[in-house]
Amino acid sequence: MKSEVTIKGHGIEITRFFDAPRDLVFSYWKQAEKLQRWSGCKEAKNCQIQMDFRVGGSFKQKMHITGAGDFSIEGQYDEIIEPERISYHVDLGGAVNRVLVEFFEQEKRTKVVLTHEGLPQQFCKFISQGTTESLDKLDRMLDGVAV
Amino acid sequence: MVSKRKQLSSVFAALADPTRRRILERLSKREEFRVTELAMPFRISLPAISRHLRVLENARLVQRRRNGREHLFRARSGGLKEVQGWIVHCVAGWEFSFDSLDELLKSEQRRYKSL
Repeated sequence: MKSEVTIKGHGIEITRFFDAPRDLVFSYWKQAEKLQRWSGCKEAKNCQIQMDFRVGGSFKQKMHITGAGDFSIEGQYDEIIEPERISYHVDLGGAVNRVLVEFFEQEKRTKVVLTHEGLPQQFCKFISQGTTESLDKLDRMLDGVAV
Repeated sequence: MVSKRKQLSSVFAALADPTRRRILERLSKREEFRVTELAMPFRISLPAISRHLRVLENARLVQRRRNGREHLFRARSGGLKEVQGWIVHCVAGWEFSFDSLDELLKSEQRRYKSL
């Protein structure tokens, strides 16, 4: 796996380096036509994004998940500091997922630290052991398919 | 049958409450508890505890067994697996997206250089 994953108090933290300047990396989160080209899981097809990129603005991502049908998720931007950080939340039927993305300049590369919160703190502690094992498995799985 | 998404939401909603998380932690310490035993450390009524247990039961995080008039509860490890699965899925999703982003950034930079 190319990203580094840590279990944090309220969720998970994923760190990834991109070989591109920060402004360029940030633009791929800021513009819908760029974001919809990469956002979404492996099973997601025909991803369409409508977004109002400003604090309090909302976004909607429509996609087709192979074998499961059409889905759409809606969220709202809570904080935007260009080109340093973006935070938003998505409400999944009563459970709120919060995502914070931070962009750091490291010479000519960009370090992206993504915190995905959706788990209460004690609970995370409770399951972190088991999860670390699962993540190791995932890591091996992803390594196996990496070109 | 409840859908996976619904099941996951009910797990998160159940875990959003601190009392329910403490109940779950207590349940992990021993095989089985009576409702009265579970209620003991909390300053809330027995009916309130029962309501919390029902939420946990609906989220399939606990299992109820009746012994005469007595209700006994135990933790269901399967319920947690679901959330573990969610974490793995969530990481895999981001990893996949980031790989695509990486490709896009690389090709855009190659275009710049060739201009």
